[in-house]
Amino acid sequence: MQRIYVHPLPVRVWHWINALSFVLMILTGIQIRYVGLVSMVSFQTAVDVHNWVGFVLIGNFFIWFLFYLFSDKITVYHPELSPMKHFRDSFRQMKYYGYGIFKGDPNPHHVSVYHKFNAMQSMTYQIIMLIIVPIQCVTGLLLWDVERFQWSVELFGGIRVVDTAHVLTFIVSVVFIFIHPYLASLGHTPMAHYKAMFTGYEEIDDDASH
Amino acid sequence: MKCTKGKWSGFAANANLLVFFMLALFLIGSIPAHATFGVLSKDDKACLNCHAKKPYDKTNAKGDSVSLHINDKKFSESVHNDNGCTDCHTNLEKVDIKKHEKSNNKLIGTRTYSVAAIKVCVECHKKTVKQYDDSLHASLVRGGNEEAPICTDCHDPHSVRAESAIAPVDDVPCGNCHAKIVKAYAGSIHGHARTKQVEAGKIPKDDTKAPICSDCHKSHSILAAVAQGRIANSCLSCHKSALAAHKKWLPNTELHYEAISCSTCHVTTTKRRVDLRLYDTIAKKDISEKTGVPMFESRAKAADIQGLGLDALALQSLLTEFNRDIPRGGTVLRGRLELSSGIELHQLTDKSKAIKDCDTCHSSGTDVFQTVTVSISRPDGRSIRHGAQSEVLTSPISVDSVKGFYAIGGTRIKLLDVLFAIALFVGVTVPVVHMTSNWLFRRYLRNIESKKRAPPPQT
Repeated sequence: MQRIYVHPLPVRVWHWINALSFVLMILTGIQIRYVGLVSMVSFQTAVDVHNWVGFVLIGNFFIWFLFYLFSDKITVYHPELSPMKHFRDSFRQMKYYGYGIFKGDPNPHHVSVYHKFNAMQSMTYQIIMLIIVPIQCVTGLLLWDVERFQWSVELFGGIRVVDTAHVLTFIVSVVFIFIHPYLASLGHTPMAHYKAMFTGYEEIDDDASH
Repeated sequence: MKCTKGKWSGFAANANLLVFFMLALFLIGSIPAHATFGVLSKDDKACLNCHAKKPYDKTNAKGDSVSLHINDKKFSESVHNDNGCTDCHTNLEKVDIKKHEKSNNKLIGTRTYSVAAIKVCVECHKKTVKQYDDSLHASLVRGGNEEAPICTDCHDPHSVRAESAIAPVDDVPCGNCHAKIVKAYAGSIHGHARTKQVEAGKIPKDDTKAPICSDCHKSHSILAAVAQGRIANSCLSCHKSALAAHKKWLPNTELHYEAISCSTCHVTTTKRRVDLRLYDTIAKKDISEKTGVPMFESRAKAADIQGLGLDALALQSLLTEFNRDIPRGGTVLRGRLELSSGIELHQLTDKSKAIKDCDTCHSSGTDVFQTVTVSISRPDGRSIRHGAQSEVLTSPISVDSVKGFYAIGGTRIKLLDVLFAIALFVGVTVPVVHMTSNWLFRRYLRNIESKKRAPPPQT
């Protein structure tokens, strides 16, 4: 097994703050929206925690954004511009996860420093980080103080439009928070990728590295 | 002294007569030509010789009985005592009393006379009458409403007291028409505080003054209570620290202030409703019906075919109609939480009893969002309302039709709940199914492997 350093420290810090923030935001968001059905904490406590962690998430986003903006590792987020190649790679990856993995086939994607995400991951992370999270953060900020941002709320169409966008991105986040950790457990061992996100080093087969 | 009858008796008689005349002149002179507090002038006494009689009714040419009684004691103690009768009743300044007494056929009804007499009030009270002219009361009078108050309905001109006079809570003239409201107010925290201050004989001039009707509704420029922000501004004019106090615990405080009337939380046991008011986002004000062009009720009835209240589609259709009048889709609905009863909203309680539990509004199915009305302003500022079904707040169409009103959790769109449930199901099921399939497949493969490796049975 060969070890390659693919997760720099800022990325790891950002990732785990993000993970914890996502979980807290989802849980408090559920408490706020479903106060009649759920009683984890009071509505008021949920709103307070949601607001505080929301600002942490916004700040954290900028850690990720600024790191990659000024790093050569930004290539990991470059979209695949050839639709045919993207479709082919995505299909191959889906086939692996849907069937090949059961047979013990090797992962068709080979991790490298500048190309650490497979086709499906790449597309998903671009959507999450460049569309879902920004919409979630902006709408969340507007909802935090509707009167202060009244001009912006009206620009988007009104408070109900803003809230609906916030809830839709929350729903996507709920799917993500289940699927992402599960797919992360599909390495050569269940904890391989988790360990990599702490140490920064992914372990890859010597055969795969050639 | 030798009696000097004859010469001296004549002198004594003249002297007595002189003293008598001087005394008479003195007495006559001591009756003031002008009045002072509690004392009527000579001229006014002449009028009140008849008009102080009780009863003092006359029948006019129409056959109606008109009371002409004036309480002379109250008049002498009123602020108008300084003016006297003919300052207002100018046509009677040089009247022949005998002819005046017989002129019944010139009598008109009290209401008609009083409306015309506003011209007299304006001579001295120009600014106040101007304020009244802009009020809802004046608008109703101009519209022919015989019950709407004019100057004399609140200020009996023959017994009006100084502004500084302290009236008991249940003696305010507003109670002549709004008796139930005054009674409700009297039992409120403001009413109790006012009563204490009245009993102490001193009304403070600072923010500790307990308000009476005119403090919130203004004395003369009374507008419809729903006029934008007016009552809330009245509350905040005394309760200056209220906003800061709410910010300590209430998220989105300014939004709550905008969307919820103070009494909605500070009157505890009563029915609440959501009022969706038509608002012009281009002109930035409530949409108002034009005088003589009523549109709202006819359009609302046309949209509410079954008469069960506007449903989501009907509300959307109503908005579309109004958007034809205002370009660029400027018509939106702005929601506000308020009390259903105008009487109950005067029953403000101590702040310790105010609603602080967020669940009251922010949970689905709460009573607060079961009663919904759609409204528009009349030209005089009052509202015309039409009922709507509560589903208008939670329907997917509400993202467009009720885009300006949303209470987190309380008016959530049900379709999004379904999507969330699907997301949870997918999020849990996919990993479980995949893990299970993986485990089963690997087990199957291991079985095949072990069978391949097993030695062939010996023959």
